[in-house]
Amino acid sequence: MQFSKTWLQDFFDKSIDKINLDEVLTMAGLEVDSVQDLSSLSKLIVVGEIVGIEKHPDADRLNICKVDVGLDKQLQIVCGAPNAREGIKVPCALVGAKLPAFEIKKAKLRGVESNGMLCSAKELGINEDAEGLYEMSLTKKVGQPIIDALSLDDEIYTLSLTPNRADCLSMIGVAREVSAFTQLPLKNIKNQLLNENFTLNQKVKIIEKKSCPRYCGIQIKNIDNKATLPVWILQNLERGGITSINPVVDITNYVLLEMGQPLHAFNQTNIYGVISVRKAKKNETLKLLNEQNIKLKEGELIIADEKGPLALAGVMGGESSSINQDSTEIFIESAYFNPIDIAGIARSYGLNTDSSHRFERGVDFENTKNALQRATSLIIEFCGGECSNILDIEDNLPPREPIELRTQKISAIMGVSLKDNDVKSILDKLNLSYIEKKSKFLITPPSFRFDLSIEEDLVEEIIRVYGYDNIPASIPINKAKMLESPNNKKSIHSIKSSLINLGYNEVVSYSFTNKETEEKLHSNKDVIELQNPIASQMNVMRSRIWGSHIETLIYNLNRGQNQVRIFEVAPVYKRNKSNFKETLMLSGLVYGDYIPEQWSNKKREINFFDIKGDIEIISSNTLSINTPNNDIPDAFHPGEVAELISKVPVGWLGQLHPALQQKYELSGKTYLFEIEMESLINLQDLDIKLPTKFSPIRRDISIVVDKDIQVGNIISEVKSKAIDRIIDFYPFDIYQGDGIENNKKSIAFLILMQDTYKTLEDEEVNKIVDQVLEILQNKFKAKLR
Amino acid sequence: MDDLKKLIKSAKKDFENCKTLTELDNAKSQYIGKSGFVTEAMRGLSKLSNEEKPKVGAFINEIKQSIELLLNNRKDDIQKQAMLSNLQSEYIDVTLPGLKQSQGSLHPITLTMRRIENIFHSIGFDLATGPEIEDDYHNFTALNIPESHPARAMHDTFYIDKNHVLRTHTSPVQVRYMKDNRPPLKVISPGRVYRVDSDATHSPMFHQVEGLWVDTDVNFANLKGVAQDFLQKFFEDHDLTIRFRPSFFPFTEPSAEIDMSWNGGWLEIGGCGMVHPEVLKQVNINTEEFQGFAFGLGVERLAMLKYNINDLRPFFTNDLRFLKQFGGQ
Repeated sequence: MQFSKTWLQDFFDKSIDKINLDEVLTMAGLEVDSVQDLSSLSKLIVVGEIVGIEKHPDADRLNICKVDVGLDKQLQIVCGAPNAREGIKVPCALVGAKLPAFEIKKAKLRGVESNGMLCSAKELGINEDAEGLYEMSLTKKVGQPIIDALSLDDEIYTLSLTPNRADCLSMIGVAREVSAFTQLPLKNIKNQLLNENFTLNQKVKIIEKKSCPRYCGIQIKNIDNKATLPVWILQNLERGGITSINPVVDITNYVLLEMGQPLHAFNQTNIYGVISVRKAKKNETLKLLNEQNIKLKEGELIIADEKGPLALAGVMGGESSSINQDSTEIFIESAYFNPIDIAGIARSYGLNTDSSHRFERGVDFENTKNALQRATSLIIEFCGGECSNILDIEDNLPPREPIELRTQKISAIMGVSLKDNDVKSILDKLNLSYIEKKSKFLITPPSFRFDLSIEEDLVEEIIRVYGYDNIPASIPINKAKMLESPNNKKSIHSIKSSLINLGYNEVVSYSFTNKETEEKLHSNKDVIELQNPIASQMNVMRSRIWGSHIETLIYNLNRGQNQVRIFEVAPVYKRNKSNFKETLMLSGLVYGDYIPEQWSNKKREINFFDIKGDIEIISSNTLSINTPNNDIPDAFHPGEVAELISKVPVGWLGQLHPALQQKYELSGKTYLFEIEMESLINLQDLDIKLPTKFSPIRRDISIVVDKDIQVGNIISEVKSKAIDRIIDFYPFDIYQGDGIENNKKSIAFLILMQDTYKTLEDEEVNKIVDQVLEILQNKFKAKLR
Repeated sequence: MDDLKKLIKSAKKDFENCKTLTELDNAKSQYIGKSGFVTEAMRGLSKLSNEEKPKVGAFINEIKQSIELLLNNRKDDIQKQAMLSNLQSEYIDVTLPGLKQSQGSLHPITLTMRRIENIFHSIGFDLATGPEIEDDYHNFTALNIPESHPARAMHDTFYIDKNHVLRTHTSPVQVRYMKDNRPPLKVISPGRVYRVDSDATHSPMFHQVEGLWVDTDVNFANLKGVAQDFLQKFFEDHDLTIRFRPSFFPFTEPSAEIDMSWNGGWLEIGGCGMVHPEVLKQVNINTEEFQGFAFGLGVERLAMLKYNINDLRPFFTNDLRFLKQFGGQ
């Protein structure tokens, strides 16, 4: 909603200059998007007349204009506007003039000197949508500053209205609010009575009575649609953001802005037979006013004659019945359509018209006839002609049930205790009529307030007028119940902290990816596609985070980073039959050197075990990280990948497949991992053993086994036997080469033993070591080296 | 006897001349070694009369102890000297950088969310999360946004299919939480939300924290109190004030935009209101017994203000040069 302050003034007898309009509107809940002060336009923008024009020798689109600005010398100005022609008067910004966007300087355009600029309404900030030179009345005096010539001592307000405040999509509505919040009385505007010259002969049949509870119409004959409208209409329209088309259309638009009632003028001569308000049938089409051809969807509400559709009800008229400057006989429609039947239709055709915007939100159905009267009297006043009586079909208007408002309820919600008299005074300011009964008020909401239907809606009205600013900020009384604090859960924060201590950087990336990444990198064939993605590269929900990681890697490699260790904790998305499954995943990528290049440590590339170690630390060794049992994701090198198990599979760790490494043009090895957060968060119950005073005893054994035997299996085999008094068993050296057969490897293990009650004797130690050796010999054919 | 006294003097001199422990060892043998002066003197005792023996013997012992004391003192001295000279040669350049893994860091959005969570946790707010691919019912209908309501157009929704959207706010978590928990309740729900919008100030994915407090008597003035208290604590500015501006959200009534004082003006920081009775009815909460408020805050906006960053995009491009600056946080 956009309007000029001078127009708003017309609704008040007293001056509104003294009030802070911006503040009043804001605190009434009508958000002020912008205020454009036209009077601040430079005095150096003056009325200029194009007295001569010739083509620019070197540029097809440019003209060289001779402009009279009331000075002795005419100015030479190069101009690219298509409507530049001799004889018109336009705003001319002289050298030195400051426009809202820039300052005018003497310039050469394609070699031709230009001493100023001829302006459009957009460049002046008067109308955002108006392109081309702003053509002024020829009666304007050349050389006069345009702020005087166009009475620009005005401000343009643009409101960003919330969908509930449809009542303020009109000047009357805004004025009503200003009056309620400032106590400035509204001017009494009388409805002019029409002089009915003939009997209406256009028949109208409302078939969809529920969708169209009220329909008014009038015929006007012998109008002159070439007439010139008075400046006040044109100026208010222009500053309301509406471009002038022809007098009748301008007047209907004027009434739309003034009263909030969309009107539509049909060319009477192009209406065949009875007008009906009905649902569209299959395969009906309509060419709209904007020349868009649409295929109507069955069931959409339309206005039709006996030949077919005339208009998309409440959205836009059709081209065939539209009026132009030569039209002399018209039929004007003023209707109330049910918001539900209009909602979404304009949007489905990529439209948002002034009309649909209002009908979707609700138009005052008690104004239907008044608005038509108002428009008709303006048309007859300025375009001449005679009118018929008004047709008014009314059925099924929305019921207005009285709402009960309790003073006690207001106080309870507001947190400020009000008295009945306070409530009454606010209801009076809002012009809401009520019946009072013992601290209860029965209020029937007015027909223009579609947003008032329950008690809480009225409470908001009371608080609004009481003033949101007057509500104290009071700290609530809190019932001091403590929160649960589960002992068997680790916080996500602590897991993240461990990772950052290991040198990882947390990243946050979009949950979107593309189909190719999803299929080829994430090994997911059953992708979740978005119906309306923001870009084709972001049209799928990711089932893994690796694609985003690789993008982040490449982004950073291109910016000189050579060590990248990143992680993200985010949900990943998968289809689950007809539903979706989201899993919170910790995912990471590591690339480059093991540690940053520094003065003492030797440089080396990251490897699998560095990251495996990191995962062991953050998972406190609760995960098994072993040879995969399940299908290996395509992302991985098949020889350098492990599956993470915590009873069930919970993730992966491995090297990016060399083919993919090549595809992404990565020069070094890249490691990826993912772990379901759930498996890291849930802690096992602790079983704490007190340390004994006896020292553990260490024995080393070195065995030779087949090369293919996995060390992890040896460790878990020994551990699974739970030999009494062994407290640890792990490898400290692995060797292949001289002295060892080709298909064998030597592994040195450390056995740590301890007894709770005594120092172990040699004999006992030897027995334990023998037990271990026996297991290794039996299970893995190990030989002692 | 005098000879023996001289012996102490001479030993003292000899020991002092020794520079190393080996030299000292050699010097020692001259006095109290197997063939040293003192040992010799002891041997000479046998030649003395029985009367003289104990006297002279005691005297020689005294001498021996004196020499041993001299020896040990000198030994300590030499050792101290040796350590001192070692310490001087063992100097390292402590100004060299420490050896370490690279600087890890938490993302500023995480830091901001953690801060918000901690502040609300301090007055007993629980934490809840919910799905991001949300059904139409929880994202809209249960929040009093029926189909074809113009408010749906406010949301620029991403659609997966007819019945599923990417949640446009974290408010659906409210609904889910209220279904599972009975009032009184206090909860915040942080998370990712999505809108079809992308430019310098809008991101198709961003983060919100939604808060909900339902009890028998929490009111609009309390909402203002909590909002102001939170912002004062978040920005550590006890003079920070807020302004409520009438607004509209289908799931709250009355509704307000929260503006906070910032650089001499007002800055919009979130939306809030009293939970709409229709929403409470959806989860079978008696609206005559309970009422409550809800608020929503944009995490990126708070992070931008907190860290003085005037561009939204760095939060999602993940430039390590940007991220590592948060390493100490």
